[in-house]
Amino acid sequence: MRGTGRAGGLVLAVAVGTAVLTGCDRGADAVTAERPLLVAAAADLRPAFTELGASFEDATGEEVVFTFGSSGQLAQQLLEGAPMDLFASANAAYVDRVIDGGVGDAATQRTYAFGRLVLWSRADASSRWEDLDALAADGGPTNLAIANPDHAPYGQAAAEALRTAGILDQVRSKLVYGENVADTQRLAATGNADAAIIALSLAVAADEAGEGRWTLLDDRLHEPLQQVLVVTATDPDRASLAGRFIDHVSSDAGRGVMRRFGFLGEGEDPPATWER
Amino acid sequence: MDLFPLLLSLRVAALATLITTVIGVSGAYVLARLDFPGRGLLEAVASLPIVLPPTVLGYYLLVVLGRTSPIGRAWEAVTGGPLVFTWQAAVIAAAVASLPYTLRAATAAIAAVDTAYEEAARVCGLHGARLAITVTLPLAARGIVAGISLAFARALGDFGTTIMVAGNIPGRTQTMPIAVYDRVQAFDYATAGLLAAVLAAVAIIVLLGVRWLERSTT
Repeated sequence: MRGTGRAGGLVLAVAVGTAVLTGCDRGADAVTAERPLLVAAAADLRPAFTELGASFEDATGEEVVFTFGSSGQLAQQLLEGAPMDLFASANAAYVDRVIDGGVGDAATQRTYAFGRLVLWSRADASSRWEDLDALAADGGPTNLAIANPDHAPYGQAAAEALRTAGILDQVRSKLVYGENVADTQRLAATGNADAAIIALSLAVAADEAGEGRWTLLDDRLHEPLQQVLVVTATDPDRASLAGRFIDHVSSDAGRGVMRRFGFLGEGEDPPATWER
Repeated sequence: MDLFPLLLSLRVAALATLITTVIGVSGAYVLARLDFPGRGLLEAVASLPIVLPPTVLGYYLLVVLGRTSPIGRAWEAVTGGPLVFTWQAAVIAAAVASLPYTLRAATAAIAAVDTAYEEAARVCGLHGARLAITVTLPLAARGIVAGISLAFARALGDFGTTIMVAGNIPGRTQTMPIAVYDRVQAFDYATAGLLAAVLAAVAIIVLLGVRWLERSTT
């Protein structure tokens, strides 16, 4: 009987030991100590920003850590006190909300890209749809993934495009929502949705793996996906580090990377070779 | 493979288990041995984390620990930074999500201890905390250890509550379950699969270890 008491003690000892051994190895609890630049970035930026983060580290020796998610979720986290230094949203509205909430520096906001929508399906899908009208016609997909319009700008734009095309009511029962635009692509990439309306940047990235087929959607179908960023650091040193990352994204090399992933300047059309 | 998420998960689960063991076992003793009005209600409320979806639990915690809450403000006054979106917030999330497992198992185990042993101990002059620690808890140890190990496993695997209050910041608050989610979002299925397998292996090793401890010492 005493033995089981000893077992309990041993379990506790193991717990204490684990806590001590795994403790504070990277100064994870330091609030003001030197730490990497923390960037909250919209999910459509993952391929482009991962590359830009690596080249920023090479150029400056400063580490960048990204948290990717839907712009709405990231804005909500920033307003709750998340410690990110820079917020790159997929639209302007969530940047406004962050600034209104007092956690973004309005003077630093800047439009860094315009996003585009594509209709995407797996390369090996048995059928694919060339335009939005085909989605509502006979032989349309069983289900269509879009990002959650409640908090994802690409979902809002996708729903708006479907409405403008006059088919939102016909396809409403087929819609499945991704948590963010990358999650939306995952639904189609894993074969769980027949097609998805996602960001051009993610379609281009998937092309490198030969994973998808897609059609660029007319950007007059929705309000422009004007992607705006803002510095959210309060500490001047961290704000200046965030500024250096913004400069890196806006540099010629940075713009080249963004453009390769389909992020265009205002009114720019993508090269015809992007269409598959 | 980046070891940070694994180390963070082990640290968070270990600290959460310490917290739930202290609160859970003392709470269980009170629930099992003292009769007071509202005991049933307290037991039901304490079990809420099992019933509530983790995201709902996370939302409540965000309200209770957030920057505008009394706890959040007190924390910020002392440490200079918000409590939410830190690894400490992940410990609280894991502790709240896993507390009922220790509490319920320990309550049942303590209630099952024959009061005759306690009566005998009282005759020998043992009372209060000494009686609990030297007689009641050792007799209930098997059930308590089972509850603690379940709570550890639950803390190790928490996703929904943790991501709500601690976010997904690589190198700071990204635990194993969140790292798996993040890798899936990045279409990096190979790493996601590897991380998931490591997490499962760690959980199995820990649970087998507890079982072995229990057996080898009885």
